[in-house]
Amino acid sequence: MTNGCCPDRAPSLTRGDLSRHGLRTRRRAAPQSKYILSTNELHPGWSIENFYRKFLWLPTAFIGVFFVGPIIAVTIRSFFDPAPGFGNYAEVLFSGIYLQVIWNTLGTALIVTFLCLLIAYPLAYVMAKAKGSMLAVMTSIVVVSLWTSVVIRSYAWMVIFQRRGVLNNLLTSTGLTDGAINFLPGAIAVNVGMVHIMLPFMVLPILSNMRSIDTSLLTAASVMGANPWLSFYKVFLPLSFPGISAGSALVFMMSLGFFVTPALLGGPRHLMVAVLIEQQANRMLNWGMASALATVLLLITVVLYLLYLRVVRYAGGGAQYGR
Amino acid sequence: MDADTATWLPIRYRASNKLLVLLAWLILLFLITPQFVIVPLSFSSEAYLSFPPAGWSTKWYGSFANSPDWGRAAINSLAIGLPTALLSMILGTMASLAVSRGGITRQSLVAALMVAPMMLPHIILAIGLYPIMLWFKLLTSYAGVIIAHTVVGIPLVFITVNSALSRHSGSLELAAMTLGAGPWQSFWKVTFPLIRPGILIGGILAFASSFDELMLALFLTGVGTQTLPRLIWLQMNDYLTPTIAAAASLIFLVTLGLLVAVSILQTRSGAEKANAHG
Repeated sequence: MTNGCCPDRAPSLTRGDLSRHGLRTRRRAAPQSKYILSTNELHPGWSIENFYRKFLWLPTAFIGVFFVGPIIAVTIRSFFDPAPGFGNYAEVLFSGIYLQVIWNTLGTALIVTFLCLLIAYPLAYVMAKAKGSMLAVMTSIVVVSLWTSVVIRSYAWMVIFQRRGVLNNLLTSTGLTDGAINFLPGAIAVNVGMVHIMLPFMVLPILSNMRSIDTSLLTAASVMGANPWLSFYKVFLPLSFPGISAGSALVFMMSLGFFVTPALLGGPRHLMVAVLIEQQANRMLNWGMASALATVLLLITVVLYLLYLRVVRYAGGGAQYGR
Repeated sequence: MDADTATWLPIRYRASNKLLVLLAWLILLFLITPQFVIVPLSFSSEAYLSFPPAGWSTKWYGSFANSPDWGRAAINSLAIGLPTALLSMILGTMASLAVSRGGITRQSLVAALMVAPMMLPHIILAIGLYPIMLWFKLLTSYAGVIIAHTVVGIPLVFITVNSALSRHSGSLELAAMTLGAGPWQSFWKVTFPLIRPGILIGGILAFASSFDELMLALFLTGVGTQTLPRLIWLQMNDYLTPTIAAAASLIFLVTLGLLVAVSILQTRSGAEKANAHG
């Protein structure tokens, strides 16, 4: 029997096949047992790896042209429109207004991230301990609000915060304030609306991390005499740091580029950088400045994304819930 | 002393636990309330937005249904969302198969590239795609915005298919291969049925994200191809009528329906898995 001796090598392998596949085989075969050639005469020498590797080109080309392409185009344009050089960046740095908007964006993103963390942590903690139908209800509320249109939720906050809106009705009817308060446009409305929209992106990574924490460590702590608060502070909290940092990076990054909520609720005094870019491009037709601001935003986002990827590797994939 | 601590400590902790659960439900209430403020508003009998409404009527749904603008926008949203979902499913699945089964080098780099569109602020993509679509003569066409939404949709499919693939070791494909199946046969008969729920869930999410997307639609669609979010956006900047609330409630309903479909798919694929192992 010629077939019996070595199961790893395909008996139907001809010299032609060897020359076609041989190079790759030799280079990659040793560590991976996956590389087995077909024993079938109808399809000589196909392997799973070789087959699926070909699938890479189409999506990569698509992402290359329509995702990497635009990014490069924006970056190049920021240096050449209207005149070649660093003119746009000089204006960003020295005219005052642009820098102020960037600072305002960073500040708002920081506040939103901090508030989200403060609110999301206890919620995730309760959800991590919940079971059965309670967990199902809690999870579905978080997921439904995650997937409800951002435009619609900002509209809802507009209705709540407007002069004759829900909140002002509540405040005046209970006698807390004398007259209606002008929340719109304002910083409070922007922060509340953004926290509301970003909260699920903080809850889900923290929750996924908390669920992976080994509870026997907490039992060990209590056996050794720690009271529940001490064992939370000394054991659980440090173990949940990967979730905290993954969620915070995600929320901060998404807040930086946020458009709808600040545009609707913020007004001209609370401009964020995405709103400014849209104004420069769509209304002022100042594409060079829009591109320069976008490049600055891109740079900050890329740095944060790399940081986030590093953190997620420890947290165990909080990104799987991201939008 | 010991007996003392044993009696008062647990009560204190139990009370704080109860408080924590109460706090969690309050946070969930905060999360869900705004969505449910719009629904009663859409049934208001008055033209201005007061809450709770003074009277009830369904006339805003009537004005939504009778307005050619809203009808056109709803059809546009579907005409853009469905091809987006299909394209995202094809390209995202291909990328996922290549990355997790193709044995490619720089695997994590390619994976990061495929997920990156999800993280990039849409405004950057929008002002970058505008001149490119202008150059391809696709500006204000359906194709232009479908391509843009697919860029954002691919990561969603890529992630869900990746997680479906990670549940299977690939030994079934190996078995099919050694039993004499060709590459396409083993894909359609073995791999595809295993990852079908993942592909579908990713497709639904891609549709939902296209259905909600504003920024790219704002730059890439025209008057004839504008989507529901864009029309809501334009109307919101001009006047706040309950017609917007009616449209928003309908969109919210569609989102809920899609999420129910996703959760049914998830439980079904989970049950199949349990059956296969049990």
